[in-house]
Amino acid sequence: MAVNKWVERFFGTPMPDSVVITSFLFPLLYLIGFLVIPVLVMLLTAFVYNGHISIYWFKSIFGAPYYFNPLHPSGSLVQLIPWGNQQVYYFSGWDFGVVINSIVVSISVMILATILGVAFAFVMARYDFPGKNIVRILLFVPLLVTPFVNVVVVKKMFLPNGLINWIFYQHLHLFPHPIWIDGLVGVVIAQSMTYYPIVYLNAYASFINIDPSLEEQAENLGSRGFHLFRTVTFPLALPGIAAGAALVGIFSLEDLAAPIVFQGSAIAKKLMSFQIYSSFVSGFAVGNPQMAALALVMLTIALIIFLAIRWYVGMKQYAMLSKGGRWKPRVAKPRLWQAAVIYLIVIPALLITIFPQIGVVLLAFSKRWYGTWPEGFTLSHMEALLTQPDILRVIENSLLYSTVAIFIIILLSLTASYAAGRFKKAKLAPILDSLATIPIAVPGIVIAMSYFFFFSTVPPFKGTALDPTNLLAFFPGAALILAYSIRRLPFAARSIAAGIQQVHVSLEEAAINLGAGRWKALTSILIPMILLNLLGGAMLSFVYCMSETSVGITLGSINSTWYPITAKMKELITGSVGSANLAAALGVFLMLVQILAIVLANVITKQRYSFIGLT
Amino acid sequence: MVEVKLQNIVKRFGDTVALKGISLDIKHGELFTLLGPSGCGKSTTLRIIAGLEYPDEGKLYFGDQDVTYLPSHQKGAVLVFQNYALWPHMTVFDNVAYGLKLRKVPKEEIKKKVEWALELIKLKGFEDRYPTQLSGGQQQRVAIARALVVEPKVLLLDEPLSNLDAKLRLEMRSEIRRIQRELGITVIYVTHDQEEAMAISDRIAVMNVGTVEQVGTPREIYEHPRTEFVASFMGKTNVIPAKVVERNGDRVTVEFEGFRLDGLHYTGKSDNVVIVIRPERIRLKPAENAVSLTGTVDLIEYYGFFIEVIGLFGDVRMIARTISDREVGNLKPTQPVTFYINRDDIIVLPKQQL
Ligand SMILES: Nc1ncnc2c1ncn2[C@@H]1O[C@H](COP(=O)(O)OP(=O)(O)O)[C@@H](O)[C@H]1O
Ligand SMILES: [Mg+2]
Repeated sequence: MAVNKWVERFFGTPMPDSVVITSFLFPLLYLIGFLVIPVLVMLLTAFVYNGHISIYWFKSIFGAPYYFNPLHPSGSLVQLIPWGNQQVYYFSGWDFGVVINSIVVSISVMILATILGVAFAFVMARYDFPGKNIVRILLFVPLLVTPFVNVVVVKKMFLPNGLINWIFYQHLHLFPHPIWIDGLVGVVIAQSMTYYPIVYLNAYASFINIDPSLEEQAENLGSRGFHLFRTVTFPLALPGIAAGAALVGIFSLEDLAAPIVFQGSAIAKKLMSFQIYSSFVSGFAVGNPQMAALALVMLTIALIIFLAIRWYVGMKQYAMLSKGGRWKPRVAKPRLWQAAVIYLIVIPALLITIFPQIGVVLLAFSKRWYGTWPEGFTLSHMEALLTQPDILRVIENSLLYSTVAIFIIILLSLTASYAAGRFKKAKLAPILDSLATIPIAVPGIVIAMSYFFFFSTVPPFKGTALDPTNLLAFFPGAALILAYSIRRLPFAARSIAAGIQQVHVSLEEAAINLGAGRWKALTSILIPMILLNLLGGAMLSFVYCMSETSVGITLGSINSTWYPITAKMKELITGSVGSANLAAALGVFLMLVQILAIVLANVITKQRYSFIGLT
Repeated sequence: MVEVKLQNIVKRFGDTVALKGISLDIKHGELFTLLGPSGCGKSTTLRIIAGLEYPDEGKLYFGDQDVTYLPSHQKGAVLVFQNYALWPHMTVFDNVAYGLKLRKVPKEEIKKKVEWALELIKLKGFEDRYPTQLSGGQQQRVAIARALVVEPKVLLLDEPLSNLDAKLRLEMRSEIRRIQRELGITVIYVTHDQEEAMAISDRIAVMNVGTVEQVGTPREIYEHPRTEFVASFMGKTNVIPAKVVERNGDRVTVEFEGFRLDGLHYTGKSDNVVIVIRPERIRLKPAENAVSLTGTVDLIEYYGFFIEVIGLFGDVRMIARTISDREVGNLKPTQPVTFYINRDDIIVLPKQQL
C-alpha cells in the first residue's frame, strides 16, 4: 500500500476515513443537489427559446422599456399634490424600468443604511454618555425581524397624517407642507430602516477592533477630530462597514415585503423581486422563462456584489494586522457639541428607526389605526394566536419546518465546517467553504423560482410531493424545509466554523493518538468544545427560518393548509381591513421567539472555554 | 515497548520536502533524541511515528511489524504535544482517564491507574482541577501522565520543555529522565536545544533540513562530530575554513590565513575543509603534542565560572575558554597571545555546502 496522491489532493489527507469522506461529500452533494443544480436548471430554462439555445428572453428584458429604461425615466422624485384640502409633497421616485429601479433602490438603501449604521456604531463605540445603556437596549430593537408588518408601520409613519408629519410638520414646523412617502422612495425608506442594523453590527465590531495605538499615534502626530476619523479610523473600519453595506444591498435587492406593502403605488411593483414574485402567484402551473431570465439577472447582480466584497475584504485584511494583545477601547466623554449631536440628532433618529417594531406591537394590541396613532386597545388579536385554528396552524407549520430545517442545517454546518476547516489543503475545501456561505447572496425568490423549474421538470422529483405543478400531491413543507436549510445555512455555518477555528487541531489529534477513532474524537472533544457556537448558530438560523419570506410566500403559499407564518402574514396584510392587526400579532409572536433565542444565547454563551497553552 | 525503525522516510508538503529519506534505529528502552534547528523536520518525524502523518515513501517498523500506514489510534505510539493539548472541558482525572476508557478498562482499574500516573508525576490530589487551573509545568505533567497511563509502546515528546521557564526546564528535564528510567520505556524526544539533548539522551540524532547528519551518544557527537553542521550545532565552537596543503597518509597539513597546522588527522577527499576546535580545548600555556598559533587579543569576556579569550588570527576570530584566571593572567586586548591546541583535539572535516 502507498499513499494515494489523488485522494490526498481531494480530501487533504491520504487516508480519509468514513467520517472525513462523509464530512466532505454530504454537504457537497446536498448543496449541489438543492442549490447548484436547481439554479442551473433555471439557467437552462432562461437560455432556451423554441427548443433552441438562445438569449431571446434576455433580449426581451433588456429591449423592453418596461424592464430597462436607463435614459428616459418617467415619473418624478417628488411633486406637490392636493390631499384633502391641503397640499402635500408626494415622494414616489423615478421609473427607470424594473432592472435599473432595483439597482437604484439597492444603492440608495446601501447609502442610507450605511449612514445610519455607521453613525450609531461610532457613537456607541467611542462615546460614554448618560443614558448609553438605554440606547444599547434600544439598538437591539431594530434587529427584530417582523416581516411585512414593520413595513406597514413605516408606510403609516410617512403618510400625510403619520408620525413623521406629526413631529416635523405639526409640532416643529420644519416642512412647509406635509410629506407623503410612497412608491419606490417608500421602499427605500422601509428597507433602510429594516436593514441598517446589519451595517451597525459590522461597523460597531470594526470600530471596537481598531487597535487604539493606531489612532493614538495619529493624534500624536497632530491629527484630530474629523481629520483623524477620515484618515485613520474610517479607513481601518471600512472593510467591515463595506461588508455590512454589501449585505444590505443584496437584501434590498431580494426584499419582497416592502414592494408588496407599497404595491398600492404602481411604481413600487416595478422591481425585479416583485415582478418575479407576481409571475409566480398569477400563473402557477406555467413557469415563465422570461421570469427565469429576470431571476438570473438578479442573481448575477447579487453575486457580483457578494464576490466584489469578498475580494475587497480579503485584500484589506490589514485591519487585523496590528499586534495582538488586549487593549482598552478608546471611549471618551463627548464634548458639548458632540453631546448636542448625540442627544438632538442621533438618539431621535434612533427612536424613529425603532418605531416600526414599536408600531407592530401597538398594531397588534389595537382595533384600528387610521391617523397618527392606533386606537382602541384590544387583546383579541393576541388571543387569536392561541385560539384561532388557521393561526395556530401556521405557527405549528413554521415551527415544524424550521425545526426540521435546523437539524439539517446543523448537520450541514458541522460536516462542511469540519471538512473545510480541518483539511484546508484539500481541493474540495475552498469549494465547500464557498458553497456554505454563498446562499447568503442568492435571493430567496431565485431559490423559489429555481425549485419551481427543478422539481417540476427533473426526474426523480417530477410528479412527486416536491413538484409544485403536481397540485394534488404537492407538499410545500418539503420544499420549504429544503429552501430553509439552504438559505439559513450560512448563519450556523459561520458560527460553527469560527468555533472550529478556535479549537486547536492538536486537541483532536491527542484524542486520536490516544486511541480514539475520528468519530469518537469528534463527539468527545470537538463538539463539546464548540457546543456554544453550535447552539448560537443554530438559534440564529432558527429564528431566520421562522421569519423566512420569499420562499414562504411563493412555494409556501400554494396550499393554505401548509402555510408558514409569513405566507399567512402576507395574506393578512394584502387582505381585508383589520387583518393587518392579526398579522402584527404574528409579528409580535416572531419577536418573542427572537428575544427568547437571543436571551438564551446570551445566557449560555456567557462562559466560554478558551484554548489553553501556546499554539 | 518496542524497537522503532525508520527506513528512508520521505515526506513532502506540496513543494517543500520536509524529510529527505530518514533512517533511524531506536532501541528498546532508550531515550532517543531528535536534535536540530527549527524547521528541520523533527516534529514531522515524530508525527509520522505517531501516525498523525503518513510518509510519501519509506517504511516504519515497530519491532518486526510494518506500521507505516497504521492509523494513529491503533498505533500505540503516544505523543505529548508541544502545546500539551489538554482538553479544557475535562478535569485532570478525565484527561488522564480518556485513553483508558477507550480501552474499556474497568472503572476500578481506571481509578487505580490514574492514581498511579498522577503519583508518578507528583500531581496527586489535582484530579478534579481543570487544566486552566494549573500552571504550565503542571499542565505538562498531566499531558505526560495522560500518555503514560495507556502504557504506550513508545512515548513521543515534542519539545516538552520549550514552554517552561528556565528553572522549571531543568526540573522537568530530570523528572522526565527519572520517569523514563523508572518505567524503562522507549522515549523519542525532540528538542532544538543541544545542551538539553546532551543532558538527557542515551543517543542523539542530529537533523538538518530533512536529513539525519549523525547518530550517536552525546559524547560521540560532541567529541567526534562527523560533519561541519554537527560540529557547529553542538555548542559554541570554533569552525575555521582552511585548505589541505600537504598529505602524508592519514595526516595532513592545513593552512588558513597564513597559519599552518601540521600532523592533523584527516582522510576526506576534498581539500576544502574546516577545522573544528572546541574553545575549552585551547590552552594559553604550552602543552604536549600541541600546535601553537600566535595572534592578538580581541576581547576578554568574564562569565564568572569561566573566562573566554577571543583571539584574532588574521581575519579569523577564535575563542578559547578556561576556568583558570591564572592562565589568563593580565592579558589585555591588542596584546599578542598564543593559543596551544593538542593535535588530537583538532577535528578536520570536509567543507559543507550549507
Ligand atoms: N502541515 C504542514 N504543511 C506544510 N508544511 C509543513 C507542514 N508541517 C511541516 N511543514 C514544513 O516541513 C518542514 C519541517 O517542519 P517541522 O517538522 O515542523 O520542523 P521542526 O519540528 O523541526 O521545527 C518545515 O519547512 C515546515 O514548514
Ligand atoms: Mg517542531
